[in-house]
Amino acid sequence: MSDFDLVDIEVTHEPVDDVLYADPSETSENHRHTVQAVRLQAGQPDSELRSLKQLDENSVKMLEHQVDAAYRALFEMDGKALLADEVGLGKTIEVGMILKEMHFRETNDSVLILTPAQLAKQWQAELREKFGLEFVCNYDDEFSGFDDHDYIIASIDTAKSERYRQTVLRRDWDVLVLDEAHYVKNEETDRYELIDNLSYNYAFFLTATPIQNELTDLYNIVSLLRPGLFGTRDVFHQYFINSDQETLVNRNELQDRLNKVMIRNRREDTDVDFTERRVDTRKFDPSPAERELYQAVSDYVKGAYSQDQGQKLVLMLLQKEVVSSPEALETTIRKRLDDQSELTHAEELESILDLINNIDAVTKQERLLDIVEEARENVEKGRVIVFTQFRATQRRVAERLLSEGYTVHSFNGSHSSQEKEDIIENFEEQGGILVSTDAMSEGRNAQFCNILVNWDLPWNPMRVEQRIGRIHRIGQKRQVYVFNMALTDTVEEYVLERLFHKIDLFQQSVGELSEILTRLEESGKSFEDEIFERLVNADSEVDLENDFDAMAVDLQEQRDLAEKLEEFNSGVFEGFDLGASDD
Amino acid sequence: MTDAAVPVTQSAVETFTASYLRSLGCQIEIQGDEWQLTIPENVETDLPKGKHALLCGSVEEPDETYEQLHPESSFFQSVLDDATDRAPIGGISIDTSDTDVIVPDWLQQSEISVSNIEFTPYYDRSALVVLFRVTVETVSEYQQEFLRSIAIDVRSTEILPNIDETFLTLLQESATIQSGDIAIEPEQVERLVDASREPLLSAIQPQIDEIHQEASRAADAELEEYRQLQQQREDECETEITRLRSKIEDLSELIDHKNQTERVEALKERRECKSKLEEIETDLNELRRRREHGYPDQQREIRDRHGLEVVVTPVTITEVEYERGDVEFELNDGSSIASLVLGYGTGVGVTEEVNCDICNRSLSAENPLRYISNRIRCTSCNGE
Repeated sequence: MSDFDLVDIEVTHEPVDDVLYADPSETSENHRHTVQAVRLQAGQPDSELRSLKQLDENSVKMLEHQVDAAYRALFEMDGKALLADEVGLGKTIEVGMILKEMHFRETNDSVLILTPAQLAKQWQAELREKFGLEFVCNYDDEFSGFDDHDYIIASIDTAKSERYRQTVLRRDWDVLVLDEAHYVKNEETDRYELIDNLSYNYAFFLTATPIQNELTDLYNIVSLLRPGLFGTRDVFHQYFINSDQETLVNRNELQDRLNKVMIRNRREDTDVDFTERRVDTRKFDPSPAERELYQAVSDYVKGAYSQDQGQKLVLMLLQKEVVSSPEALETTIRKRLDDQSELTHAEELESILDLINNIDAVTKQERLLDIVEEARENVEKGRVIVFTQFRATQRRVAERLLSEGYTVHSFNGSHSSQEKEDIIENFEEQGGILVSTDAMSEGRNAQFCNILVNWDLPWNPMRVEQRIGRIHRIGQKRQVYVFNMALTDTVEEYVLERLFHKIDLFQQSVGELSEILTRLEESGKSFEDEIFERLVNADSEVDLENDFDAMAVDLQEQRDLAEKLEEFNSGVFEGFDLGASDD
Repeated sequence: MTDAAVPVTQSAVETFTASYLRSLGCQIEIQGDEWQLTIPENVETDLPKGKHALLCGSVEEPDETYEQLHPESSFFQSVLDDATDRAPIGGISIDTSDTDVIVPDWLQQSEISVSNIEFTPYYDRSALVVLFRVTVETVSEYQQEFLRSIAIDVRSTEILPNIDETFLTLLQESATIQSGDIAIEPEQVERLVDASREPLLSAIQPQIDEIHQEASRAADAELEEYRQLQQQREDECETEITRLRSKIEDLSELIDHKNQTERVEALKERRECKSKLEEIETDLNELRRRREHGYPDQQREIRDRHGLEVVVTPVTITEVEYERGDVEFELNDGSSIASLVLGYGTGVGVTEEVNCDICNRSLSAENPLRYISNRIRCTSCNGE
């Protein structure tokens, strides 16, 4: 491949004078030391990931392919790499290791991590909990601009927005991390332009599917990282892509080039092996009092939202609380009653309080006993984790289980770091039931337990997967059982039956979900908003069902697309050995 | 020619630092990972005198009372800087007691076994081992640095194999090495160093070629981008010309039909448009002219900027005295025994080429010795 003219080479021979006329009075040993010093100066710095010793094995289990990828990206690719592992192999962990090592070596004075909006907070939590790295996220209250912090995680769209663009571009960043890098494949977009114009020393791009539509996507992404590696666009086309645009040719040379910048681990080549996951959704008919309460809250939410859409978050909360527990709902209702602006709905709210008081038994509570009792008889130390979104529910569930004579541990965000560790340790040693809020769903792992109950259900599937990920992870040796508890004819049933189950979301990994959700987010929608809007805007039960079906179709499409892309990329890179180079 | 760079591991860092500082007259007390170092006032060094507390290879951030000692620590870098300038010239003798006899490739690859080896030295010779630092720099790549050693015989100026590697190995051991004056005249050293530059460059040519290709590709990609940008500018000019022409036409029509005040305004505007049109047409012509000529200035500027700068610097020179003589290999193929006497240099190896008695091809790793009975026969002519 020589469709280009060679640039000039200028060779300068430095004279030998400095060596020849050095001080001859030195002792005999010193020549040995000088030669050794010169050799050490020319040697590669100690190339091992020294910071890894600092990591807590309970927080992050590092796999061989991840350590290799971090090592190669740092030491063999001069800190500019495209991490293109197949989905689910832990690219975020690889970047975490890289950033941790750079932090240790003090080569990371300023780091910018650009992600799709959906994933920004998750990145922040993972880097904090697994690697002890503190980043500010553009969604944090304390975020005050791209020139005010040195470690930033931001959505790429925020960074390219009119408001921030200039500040982002004005800085010289030490490290740039670009998640889901395939979203900058198109050189005509603002996103591409932003990355192209950013100034940085080291860059790590992540994607499981570097090729989205056509093979030139690969050219664009790689050229951002290593301009000139493939030569001009025309040369790349002529030399590496056959005329049908679907297959790569001259594969050996392409592989040699890609080897300089891209790492792609395949699932079959790694030791990632998950045990089976069994999902059991148990639906229960609510009692008449519970049904009445659900209806009243739903009517209130619908009415209030039609009058003032600004209250969306709190109304969404009520809709979630009503299927969790009367206690969770009561707290929020009382707060709203105290709020002056709620005078118009005071009567409605008071009647909801009445309905709450009418509830003697909580259906889910009674049914939970069936599950934990079964576990007590069949599983080591009867360990079960019960997840709820609300602390009031947590209290109720814990008290009831205690009164039934179970060993109960409670875990929520109010505990200190040490307390949290103690709770998990006690749970492991004593067994019994851990009743936890989603404060545990990131970072703390409990693979010694294999039964999980979703008492209530986060609407965002990523949150559900994070819960399951606490027990279904590397190191889990048994089958994992996930029980979902849902009341029939409520939002829970819709979300579970019509969305999650239909597209088999409970069997997707975080990586796969992130692909699907990020695609969905591309169309400017948030998953939770989608659910809520459908719930409050449906005119009838039939409407609601149809709406949820339509959303499922949409999700299925995104999932199919994500799968197709993954397959396509696997096909294209088939036969490529992008592991460590031979030299 | 040998790659002389060594991996900078933590243990290499600690061994070197202790050995070097002690050789200067510093005291080091080692307690686990903590070193108490004292650099006395009378020691000639740029390192700060006095007491230092060093912490080796620590992953924890030390408090202010400690300095870190690990491959990237600033203290270690100062130690290296101090040592590199100290004694770049020196000498060493290699005799038989220092090294094992080097068995040639064609014998190592052969099925014939060597039952005895005897070296008889006749006279001493000397060679210069030069360590060259070669840096290759271009805008699109990180600067790449190579450290290569090369050995040249002082009398014959032939490039000697192996001896530089032998020297580098002995350096790690306890052979006596002297610093300072060597027996060769500076002018001759200069001639020898110059004579070794070209063979050195040839040896690293493949690496340079690879960087050269990458830099050329990068230049080409940049030029292509420039071409596209210019094309875009041409397109913009053409659009603007069309717009201005149409506007001038419209204004001309207006001028025919308006009252005097409006006409004056329109005339003025048309004049401005015409002048703007002229300006853009000139720009467009210039853009086209440059395109037809292939943007020679830009080509030159981009290619110059991406050009490779290779700098070859001799950094240390060591006179290596070695012994020349004969080596006798006693060979055994299971049924017969033969003896082979060849010219040999300590650290250099066999100094003469050995040819097959039948076909006269030279023996090598690819064409090893096959038969020894009566005559020497190579593997290639085995079947002939």
